[in-house]
Amino acid sequence: MQPTPTRLDSAADAMSGANETLLQVRDVKTHFFTDEGVVKAVDGVNLSLKRGQTLCVVGESGCGKSVTARSILRIVPAPGRIVSGEINFQQRNGAMIDLAQTNPKGRAIRHIRGREISMIFQEPMSSLSPVHTIGSQIMEAILLHLPVTRQEARKRAVSMLELVGIPRAGEQLDAYSFELSGGMRQRAMIAIALACEPQLLIADEPTTALDVTTQANILDLIRDLQQASGMSVLFITHDLGVVAEIADEVVVMYLGRDVESGPVDAIFHDPKHPYTRALLQSIPRYGSRDRDRLYSLKGTVPHPFDRPSGCPFHPRCDEFIQERCNTVDPDRYAAGSAQSVRCLLYSPDADLYAKEDSKP
Amino acid sequence: MDFDANKTADSARPLLEVRNLHMQFPIKRGLLRRTVGFVSAVNDVSFSIRPGETLSLVGESGCGKTTTGRCIARVYSPSSGQILYQLDERESVDLAQFDNRELRPFRREIRMIFQDPFSSLNPRLPILQIVGEPLRANRVASGSELEDRVATLLRRVGLRPEYIRRYPHAFSGGERQRIGIARALALNPRLIVADEAVSALDVSVQAQILNLLQDLQEEFKLTYLFIAHDLSVVEHISHRVAVMYVGKIVELAQADELFANPLHPYTEALLSAVPKPDPRLRNKGARIRLEGEVADPSDPPSGCYFHPRCPYAQDRCWHEEPPVREIGADHWVACHFADELELRGFEAIGAARDA
Repeated sequence: MQPTPTRLDSAADAMSGANETLLQVRDVKTHFFTDEGVVKAVDGVNLSLKRGQTLCVVGESGCGKSVTARSILRIVPAPGRIVSGEINFQQRNGAMIDLAQTNPKGRAIRHIRGREISMIFQEPMSSLSPVHTIGSQIMEAILLHLPVTRQEARKRAVSMLELVGIPRAGEQLDAYSFELSGGMRQRAMIAIALACEPQLLIADEPTTALDVTTQANILDLIRDLQQASGMSVLFITHDLGVVAEIADEVVVMYLGRDVESGPVDAIFHDPKHPYTRALLQSIPRYGSRDRDRLYSLKGTVPHPFDRPSGCPFHPRCDEFIQERCNTVDPDRYAAGSAQSVRCLLYSPDADLYAKEDSKP
Repeated sequence: MDFDANKTADSARPLLEVRNLHMQFPIKRGLLRRTVGFVSAVNDVSFSIRPGETLSLVGESGCGKTTTGRCIARVYSPSSGQILYQLDERESVDLAQFDNRELRPFRREIRMIFQDPFSSLNPRLPILQIVGEPLRANRVASGSELEDRVATLLRRVGLRPEYIRRYPHAFSGGERQRIGIARALALNPRLIVADEAVSALDVSVQAQILNLLQDLQEEFKLTYLFIAHDLSVVEHISHRVAVMYVGKIVELAQADELFANPLHPYTEALLSAVPKPDPRLRNKGARIRLEGEVADPSDPPSGCYFHPRCPYAQDRCWHEEPPVREIGADHWVACHFADELELRGFEAIGAARDA
């Protein structure tokens, strides 16, 4: 299928079920070379995102989900850098580009940031400039990427603010970020991110700092905008409730790796990896017996300098197989209906030793 | 208004009874820092906590739940109202009236756990001093006895006693929260005010800490005032739940009852906004999305504070403030139309899980 030059067409593609892959991340490793040693924040992550879909990256703090997102946009802070892997992204003109090979300060990536891929962050207060008005921050992105005059840019900024549901958009254009509430700030940030109609929106915990009622409104907004424009969303969160609400596909990360990935329904109703199962069991759910004990994963996430051998999850795993899990680094195996899992239980030769060792 | 626990037959004498609590903070402006107005962070709040129960305060940020907790722990001196604390079978004292010297014995019995385990522990002190400080300050123990007591406490909250000389930076978020809990437990308290104690933690660690809090409650007969904004956590841990909005309690009931059968439109909206951890429930059931912003507590709306955002508001809500009244057993609500509205609870999920 021919890549399409305008947004409306790509929206139509998404609706007609075009399964075009927009972003493919292959075995990316981003390491931080600190004085104390190398921190392997991302150590072989794979994900792929189709046009018009929402991919949720979920995991606990320190699992490398934010670094993965920053690697895609090439905004990993020093002393971190991508040491290997491919980040293939399909540009609007149809050309494929490997973002991992671009110069983080070069022209190619700067053309992509804000125009093709935009990002919104957790803390709108610290990511918005306190000394520029909301309007000038939206217009900056528009003037940088689109061939329009200031007048047109301003008009477009107003319509962006209207689009994201900010009341009295004309007046609010000249407001500063501190004059807005948390929810409105997050809307303003979304307006900046979407001003140039990117193909991909990366949202790094955009609702974590918000109240549930505001969170629900922002999630609705992202979903509505996605439906209208056909953009893809890479959504990073630690909240499994949010994942269940918005994801099409899910990638579960642990210690810098994708441990399980698959469609949202399979992840929630037929989780394969012991870590995914443990995560799902440790959330309090309504309707469970009152005040029962929650399932709790033993131990804590290991220190980054102290990465376990073999499968990085083995010290905390209930289905740990002696002499296997602590020595063999699991590959990605197909499991269930559509998942891929990094766990020896699903390796082709699993039944050789599973009979004696694994528990039902 | 009065949420008097004594009225219900089965309840014990409350450990703590809050009556008409007000907390106002001055707004200061200008060079001379003149007071130009007041923010009513807590506005006429009354409730009681029974011995051994977990009462949760929930609401959006700025609703006054933390301020209420801090008034009870007497971090703040309330502007007016009573905080009646039960000494024994017959006697109670009003903590709101006490000065710091008089409060001293009660500071041992009412302890706090804070949200952020990174900023609530002094980075320059080893664990021995952080956990042992309340013991030493109250002359309960010193020297090697102190060390033994701290080691026992650490073991009780699931930390290794060998870590006693380490500093907070050597611990993860969950472990630091355990240290905070050990410090709160040091003086055998009766009431613990847990202010967003698990909000900053990852789900797997959060589950560990919630289990720990429940175990400790059983073992030491603790009473918790649990302040949180995560409703699924609140549903899991609470016996009773109070919902706050702009400094007032709008609904208070048994946890099961409140989640299954909310009577206040604000509670319904809060429940509806909680993301459900099941993709099959997506787009099922009515979504209630609140318009607008939480009212400004320094300039609250007339009548019912919730009326500008309430989907069921009528003329009466504009100019008449709804009193708190009891509808059903031990279910209190401040809404004019609580008996007429048919609000949706959380039950849809329980049903789906059984299926």
